[in-house]
Amino acid sequence: MMDMLIHLFPGIGSFFIDDPIVAFSRIALIIFGMVLAYYGFKRTLEPLIMVPMGIGMIAINSGVLFLDGGATGNIILNPLVSDPSNLVNILQVNFLQPIYNFSFSNGLVACLVFMGIGAMSDISFLLMRPWACIIVAIFAEMGTFATLIIGLKFGLPPGEAAAVATIGGADGPMVLFTSLMLAKDLFVPISIIAYLYLSLTYVGYPYLVKLLIPAKYRGIETEFDMGNISRRKKFVSILVINTVLCLLLPVAAPLIMSFFIGMAVKEAEIEPLHALLENTILYGGTFFLGLLLGVLCDARTILNPKVGILVVLGIVALTISALGAILGGWIIYHFTKKKFNPVIGIAGVSCMPTTAKIAQKIAMEENPYCMIMPLAMGASLSGLIVSAIAAGVFISTIGMLAP
Amino acid sequence: MNSITYALMTYGLTALISLAVVGLIVIINKLMGGNSSADSEQGAD
Repeated sequence: MMDMLIHLFPGIGSFFIDDPIVAFSRIALIIFGMVLAYYGFKRTLEPLIMVPMGIGMIAINSGVLFLDGGATGNIILNPLVSDPSNLVNILQVNFLQPIYNFSFSNGLVACLVFMGIGAMSDISFLLMRPWACIIVAIFAEMGTFATLIIGLKFGLPPGEAAAVATIGGADGPMVLFTSLMLAKDLFVPISIIAYLYLSLTYVGYPYLVKLLIPAKYRGIETEFDMGNISRRKKFVSILVINTVLCLLLPVAAPLIMSFFIGMAVKEAEIEPLHALLENTILYGGTFFLGLLLGVLCDARTILNPKVGILVVLGIVALTISALGAILGGWIIYHFTKKKFNPVIGIAGVSCMPTTAKIAQKIAMEENPYCMIMPLAMGASLSGLIVSAIAAGVFISTIGMLAP
Repeated sequence: MNSITYALMTYGLTALISLAVVGLIVIINKLMGGNSSADSEQGAD
């Protein structure tokens, strides 16, 4: 009778068949998926990622059935298949398998999201105060390099330590791309942790900024030239930066090219392509990124003793980067003889456009006429460029660290 | 290589490349002249 019930309702019955640790982890992940989707719905977390991710997490851990040979599994996705003949068979069964193999595990989805971000960005923000923006962004990358050292001290192999350290750059597609290149076995937990924490920056960073920058400094008005920078100038700048970065960092060329092609299409005013990248590609890529991150949270594949270390390192990376960014803001403030709002520093953590919005919101709370958004966007854009450079440097040089 | 040495080296290299990229942007802007709406219109051609 019990056996019949287990086979009649395999989603529930499999809880009694699975290893107890796996069964409890499945229940925990179902609840966690519900929490993520709900807080996405409430806008506490980023809804574009968290709603599909939460739903995917629930489905992969609930929709368990008995496969050939009596083993438990699902007909959604199996990321562990590597044998070519098995893969060909499973591509015809698991409905998300083709999207995973042809767009996720090769980093294509990260590049698609980057094309969309590029199409939304404007290089003129960076051209207003280029040196201030880039210096702030360099300081905001501090968490990446500090976490690399801490990760190595925790005993992680160099590739895994570097991959988790890139969370400090606060750029989701970059973390996904770097972990695929450097830590293929851990790219799922690293990416999930990165996206979770990036959603939480909107909640946590304002407290950190208010703690480290007294109220009287938060409303300082900062001068910048909103001059009409020509499209020709911006387009040529995009071509040159893209060429130089691809020449210097060929391993990061797919991501660099994706970002600058988005920017180039925007500046060239190719409206159909701009609309395609900014809407369809960006939102389509983000949707499948969220959904795949969710279905990759299968209790039977995600359980890894290193996840605890990654959880700690992720928060350490983002916290140190925020501290570095605020320090960068203070340094520019003193260097410009108190004519720079130090709050702009937080935007150097390149979580575009979240950190720029945080900076503007905090400044306006103290001074309703304080407009720092364009400069904050410039700092964010610089942060994105610095993160891409850091990722490329890691991928190119990680072999110098003995495993 | 020692982990701290490696982290400092890669951080320095990242900063150097970033500054060089911005230096290049500034030079391009200087070479192409100041901001002007006429230039903007020319770019739209």
